[in-house]
Amino acid sequence: MKQGVDPDDLTRPFWEAANEGRLVIQYCADCDRLQHPPGRTCHACGSGDTLQWRQVSGRGRIYNYGVVHDCPIRLLQEDQPFNAAVVTLEEDPGIQMYSHLPGTPVDEVPVGEAVEVVFEATANGQKVPEWRVAGAQR
Amino acid sequence: MILVSFDIDGTLEEGDPPGILTMDFVRQVKGEGLLVGSCSDRPISAQRALWARHGIDVDFAVSKHMLGEVKASFDAEVYYHIGDREDLDKRPAEQAGFRFLWPHEAVAMPWTKTGSVRP
Amino acid sequence: MARGGRAAMSTPAPASVYRSGEGLGLWEHRGKVAAVGIGHSPTARRWDGKPANSVGGISLAALRGAIEDSGVDPADVDGLVMDPTTTTGAFWPQGKPLPWDAINAYERTDDPLDGITRLSAEWMLKNMPELTGVQFTRYGMGCMSSAICVAAQAVGDGRTHTCLVLKSWHNLEGRYYQGGANAGNAIPGSSAIRSLWGTPACFGTAVQFAEYCRKYGKSHDMMAPFIENSRNNGLKFPEGYWAQHRPEEITPEDYKAARWIAKPANLFDNDMPIMVSAAYLFTTAERARQLKQKPVYILNHASSRTRPRSLTPTLDEVEEDTARTARKIYEGAGITAADLSFENMYDGFALFHQFHIEGLGYRGIKFGEALDFYQTDISIGGPNPVSPSGGNIGCGRSRFWMHTDCIQQIQRRASSRQVTGVKPEVAVSGGPMPLGGNFTVWSSTPG
Repeated sequence: MKQGVDPDDLTRPFWEAANEGRLVIQYCADCDRLQHPPGRTCHACGSGDTLQWRQVSGRGRIYNYGVVHDCPIRLLQEDQPFNAAVVTLEEDPGIQMYSHLPGTPVDEVPVGEAVEVVFEATANGQKVPEWRVAGAQR
Repeated sequence: MILVSFDIDGTLEEGDPPGILTMDFVRQVKGEGLLVGSCSDRPISAQRALWARHGIDVDFAVSKHMLGEVKASFDAEVYYHIGDREDLDKRPAEQAGFRFLWPHEAVAMPWTKTGSVRP
Repeated sequence: MARGGRAAMSTPAPASVYRSGEGLGLWEHRGKVAAVGIGHSPTARRWDGKPANSVGGISLAALRGAIEDSGVDPADVDGLVMDPTTTTGAFWPQGKPLPWDAINAYERTDDPLDGITRLSAEWMLKNMPELTGVQFTRYGMGCMSSAICVAAQAVGDGRTHTCLVLKSWHNLEGRYYQGGANAGNAIPGSSAIRSLWGTPACFGTAVQFAEYCRKYGKSHDMMAPFIENSRNNGLKFPEGYWAQHRPEEITPEDYKAARWIAKPANLFDNDMPIMVSAAYLFTTAERARQLKQKPVYILNHASSRTRPRSLTPTLDEVEEDTARTARKIYEGAGITAADLSFENMYDGFALFHQFHIEGLGYRGIKFGEALDFYQTDISIGGPNPVSPSGGNIGCGRSRFWMHTDCIQQIQRRASSRQVTGVKPEVAVSGGPMPLGGNFTVWSSTPG
């Protein structure tokens, strides 16, 4: 079970959207550029006034992965070992999100395969974007 | 037959940090005819060197995640692992089918080859 | 200036101090700054509660060691550059009684944990009354690599002529990063975006290494000679943790049998947090020639301030930046890769050392070739020494063994670790990460 999340000012729109089953990513209107993790300012132009939240498709690809055997998070230690994948977004392969790839056997991760976002409840009920291999049974 | 696996650091007096179990205690358990060895994060070569330095002829020396292999390699009625960490000793030991003991519990055990063991 | 009041307002060095841009040309102080003294504290796995072994106590030992080693009169020291953060990941637990015996054993600042879990310049100077002439203090944040850049620039700029450089680490009981927020049931939204997936510290490096292996057809087992070499070198480093406390080799068989932390990073790809402090004494080239140790001249310092586009650097980002860093290192020093007698880039985590040395083009190796290079003679006795310090893998986590080693090798006082297959004339050290490090070029001559 993942730790719960207490949304803060910076990331509240991301978490609220997740609770609604939508994936939103911070976006700089001036640069026409997504950025993740979110920041107070655009990492490219430095502006704080041009940042918005943009809904994305929830489609991506598995870019890379590791298998966690010694996790620092107490709540996750019962689940060891588990996959920890780096997923990139279809809209912009430069944007990464982490995933446990629910449904994918440990260390049998198909790098390069398409994935789709799902939303998973954490310890305090806050939902979090997760990713499943596209076409895999839910 | 009983098999006893010892963690080293935090468990044995030679550990880093030192634990409460003396090398004489290990020698005594071994002397009862039990299968004895170590399962530690120390390099396997360093574990063997430690036992050799103390003149204890152990039956195995393995890395922390290898208790399952130990169980598969030795035929025993009961398998124990003694260690000082919940996450690095107790949980993997129980997952591998070992009974787990903290060092202070191990001291209180009547270690004999066929003697009483805790259910 | 009155004792104790000299450094109350010490601040981090501004970004402009670091040479992070490309095309800056030769460093304006090339060969005009030299290292002349080294001091190390003893190492320990964790603090034992004794005042002398606190992070403040061991820092005093290191600083006094560097002064003595250089032969400088303490009253002549006029600068102190250090990192005020000392944690290896351990923090004083909330609610735990403060260690007043240790706190009160020294002159205090307003913060009772100063000298215990952090370290200010003010604390150091309050507790070193022999340093009567210090008028310049500055913080080089993060590790010794940054403090060296700040100190070298300060000496070159004439802000201090005899400058101590200090980095210290504390480690307390408990497992690394297992307490605090990681033990809680909920975390703030901003940190959750990265940390909710429970990836340990080595994860980013592990996945970069996985990508590296896929791209170049390499395997984790090919790291074994590097690990074995690093530990062997570390066991010849009398100041190191493993040499002092647990003289254990890591054989290729040991390495391959180790448990995974975040596959493909295993236990021995990670370093072990320890308590340790090191200090250097830097001065001008002119003054250095009058002192008792052979001067080791600084030809350049260079920094990387590149940020990854997203959560963790991709292999492309790593390779672009290590190549860029190498161009900065060489340009400012006026050297090429062919001038390097040996390399001492950072290794904590072991799985990124190859990124550093491929970026440098050490011995002509290109991207994807370092693991093959590791299968050749990389020992201190051969023509291509790799990490002769042993680094963090060989000596414990400090992020400074490589700097000490460069100085000692060039001074030819690296004892049984002395390189013998090459003449120790020019070397490079630095880190920590491939993206976001600070690097120094050391030389036996001013250039």
